[in-house]
Amino acid sequence: MERRNFIKSICAASAVAATITPSALLAKEAPKGGNILSYDAAVAAITGGKTVTDSSKVALTVPEIAENGAVVPVKVNVESPMTDADHVKAIHVLSTKNGNARCADVMLTPLNGKGYFATRIKLAGTQDVVALVELSNGSFLRAAKPVKVTIGGCG
Amino acid sequence: MAEARKSMIKFKPKKFNVGDTIKVDFIVIHPMETGTRKDKKTGNIKPAKYIDNITFLLDGKPFTTMKVWETVSTNPYFSVNLKVPGKGKITVDYTDNTGEKNTKSKKLKPKG
Repeated sequence: MERRNFIKSICAASAVAATITPSALLAKEAPKGGNILSYDAAVAAITGGKTVTDSSKVALTVPEIAENGAVVPVKVNVESPMTDADHVKAIHVLSTKNGNARCADVMLTPLNGKGYFATRIKLAGTQDVVALVELSNGSFLRAAKPVKVTIGGCG
Repeated sequence: MAEARKSMIKFKPKKFNVGDTIKVDFIVIHPMETGTRKDKKTGNIKPAKYIDNITFLLDGKPFTTMKVWETVSTNPYFSVNLKVPGKGKITVDYTDNTGEKNTKSKKLKPKG
């Protein structure tokens, strides 16, 4: 009986260890609550596997050369009537090579009047800035522009 | 603890009529710390502190909501458009990843 109990206790202990280790590993991998996503993962998370088309309707304004990567002005203009039936649902600003690809997700409503968003972002180095636009009919448009960064801003 | 942050709402252009589409600019003084930088004096990593949720409200009704990450610059600036429906009050609510909540509002006074 003693031997049996001993083996049982070992089995229980190892089972407990097995359940604990994966969660401990996960916590190490994502120290900030799983907020950090690479560019491809971020696009997949936003679009959910839908096709994204490059469109001239999305006008992305970024500087060609940014002397300071800590402050890069980004402007997104989307051609849209902004009515209840046809409006810009969301504008996502992404960068291709930053540690965290996502910069801002902006959910718009017809009250906005125009599909417009502007902000200033940090860029770690020379890379593309991407604007992903979700329309109310569920389709995705994309515009991308390269930015040369002389001093990185994600130090 | 919530501390009072310096923030500002600006309408562009300053004078506008009902039905015009104006820019609503929001600027806030915030460090937007990424959580990867080292303090040069102590050598410790500075903890992440960045604004992660912003809501633009018109008379208590949200018209734009944003999710933001640490990749937005220090002292962030956000600009969206608004088609002015009439008199009202613009409020901007924002929270950061440490749970700090703040709000800022400004009256919307169209001319005509």
